[in-house]
Amino acid sequence: MATESKEVLYGLYDDEEILMDAVRKAKADHLEIMDVFTPFPVHGLDPILGLQESRLHIAGFVYGMIGTLTAFLFMTWVFTRDWPIIFGGKPYWSVPSFIPITFELTVLFSAIGMVVSFYTVCGLGPGVTNEVLDDRITDDKFCIAFQTNGSSSEDINGLRSFFSATGASEVNTKVIS
Amino acid sequence: MTDFTFEGKQRTLFLGMMAVGLVCLVATFFAEDAGHHARFWSNFLHNSVFFTGVAFTSLFVYCAFTTAYAGWYTVMKRVWEAYAQFLIVGLVFMLIIAAGVFLHWHHLYHWADESLLDPSNPDKYDAVLAGKSSFLNKYWYGIGTLLIVGTWYVFATRIRSISLDEDRSGTTEYTHHSRLRRWCAAFLPIAGFSSAAIIWQWVMSIDSHWYSTMFAWYTTASWFVSALCLTILTLIYLKSKGYYNNLTDEHLHDLGKYLFAFSIFWTYLWFSQYMLIWYANNGEETIYFHTRINEYPVLFYGNLLINFVLPFLVLMRNSTKRKYGTLIFVSVMVLFGHWWDFFQMIKPGVNPHAGAHGDHGGHADHGHGHDHAHDVAHAVADHAEHASNFASGFTIPGLLEVGTFIGFLGLFLYVAFAQLAKAKLEPENDPYYAESLHHHV
Repeated sequence: MATESKEVLYGLYDDEEILMDAVRKAKADHLEIMDVFTPFPVHGLDPILGLQESRLHIAGFVYGMIGTLTAFLFMTWVFTRDWPIIFGGKPYWSVPSFIPITFELTVLFSAIGMVVSFYTVCGLGPGVTNEVLDDRITDDKFCIAFQTNGSSSEDINGLRSFFSATGASEVNTKVIS
Repeated sequence: MTDFTFEGKQRTLFLGMMAVGLVCLVATFFAEDAGHHARFWSNFLHNSVFFTGVAFTSLFVYCAFTTAYAGWYTVMKRVWEAYAQFLIVGLVFMLIIAAGVFLHWHHLYHWADESLLDPSNPDKYDAVLAGKSSFLNKYWYGIGTLLIVGTWYVFATRIRSISLDEDRSGTTEYTHHSRLRRWCAAFLPIAGFSSAAIIWQWVMSIDSHWYSTMFAWYTTASWFVSALCLTILTLIYLKSKGYYNNLTDEHLHDLGKYLFAFSIFWTYLWFSQYMLIWYANNGEETIYFHTRINEYPVLFYGNLLINFVLPFLVLMRNSTKRKYGTLIFVSVMVLFGHWWDFFQMIKPGVNPHAGAHGDHGGHADHGHGHDHAHDVAHAVADHAEHASNFASGFTIPGLLEVGTFIGFLGLFLYVAFAQLAKAKLEPENDPYYAESLHHHV
């Protein structure tokens, strides 16, 4: 992860409806939003922000297929080449009995794979500390953040007046790594 | 538009479909009289069971959602109320089958042959059927059908009348809704047990010696998926006619998810049933799949292809559940697929052209005698004569079967649309209506 520090100007809102209106206005004014933080998923926010649909599920499908093949081919190899045993008079290559395990490994691979991918992409995981702009955005505040590295004071004043015009209850700055 | 008009054009279309179905049914009756008109009677049973089940699962899922405080479906709940009203037609049809059991109009059910139950005649005595005869008998069949489908219909009308009364004289207060929920909650356990008991009688007992504890779940899942397909198609059609403007892609997306999920649920049950029987390999259980895999491979593998592989691959992506084109394609295919599934449950057991590997429907051909050695010898000779026992309408659905399906579908939709026209399309006084309008996935 890049360690370049970011200067952030952020405003806190009390309600998601006010936040949504503010995001709409920011988009209309062509302000470049760094990120929006909410304590819970806000329906309809993604399209307003213009976020692309996550590609995580495509990764999940690929992991799932890897799981399917791993389980199926491994069992095929074990029961036909490595250690063939007859169970209950069934043929060595007994596909129906492979299916439950194949299914389980498909689910396991896709679940673990997606968790690892998600954590990696978001820079999360054990031992990682992420600076939080404000503790209350995990509780009851809705936040719009702008990055202000190299912005002129004119720009910053413009952002501050944007916040006051859209009803932010608080405006702060913070430098995060 | 909240008031639905059942237009003359639609009436004509559905009546035309019914006419096609009726012509096909009559043609089937006269074209083939093998096994007491087995083809005609099994087609009648097949479609009656299928559409009665669609009506039943519509009511069931309506009750399940209402009991679970679900709000999203409220805008379209009239469609399920209307579907459930088909139960009275289904009851009449199933009672005709039951009357046929009494009066020997058909020999779809091997257990209906009472001469097999007489222990004083060891040549014919069938110990397995004698053991089951307290449940598999003509009285239980008739009374069970009347009692169970009758109960379903009582719940369907009661629930609908409360819901319509809410429209006329209610408010969005919970007074009507709490009454509705009590009826719905009461229906769930009744529906759970009674649907299992009746499907054993209607379908599973065709293969009289065979049984499966997964069977009731498996068929109910099949019904439910069919009901979802029909719901999606009806809603998209009504939207195209300018109704249901409040019904958005979000609602269809959720129905698509249900279709996807329950196709997989159906496959899970199908496989659970198959694998347990394959593993244990008890002769009396295995014969069911042995027959289907060897004599009816198109039915057997086609079933999995249409009902699992197709919806699984097509509906997996987010976007395909929100596009009308893919939804319509999958719904049509899977609706046909589950009709095919019921065909595959019923037909091998009643096929009068079946060879040694066939089930017991063939006995009707050889008179009531149950001379097993004779049967086998006859069948083996039969088998040697023609290597394949292909019989249209049994091995795979023929044109007459498809026509019959269209006829029943026309009748079902006629009943449903006539019911839809009787009330507002959207239940505006339902306390969950507003929530439904703001549904977002």
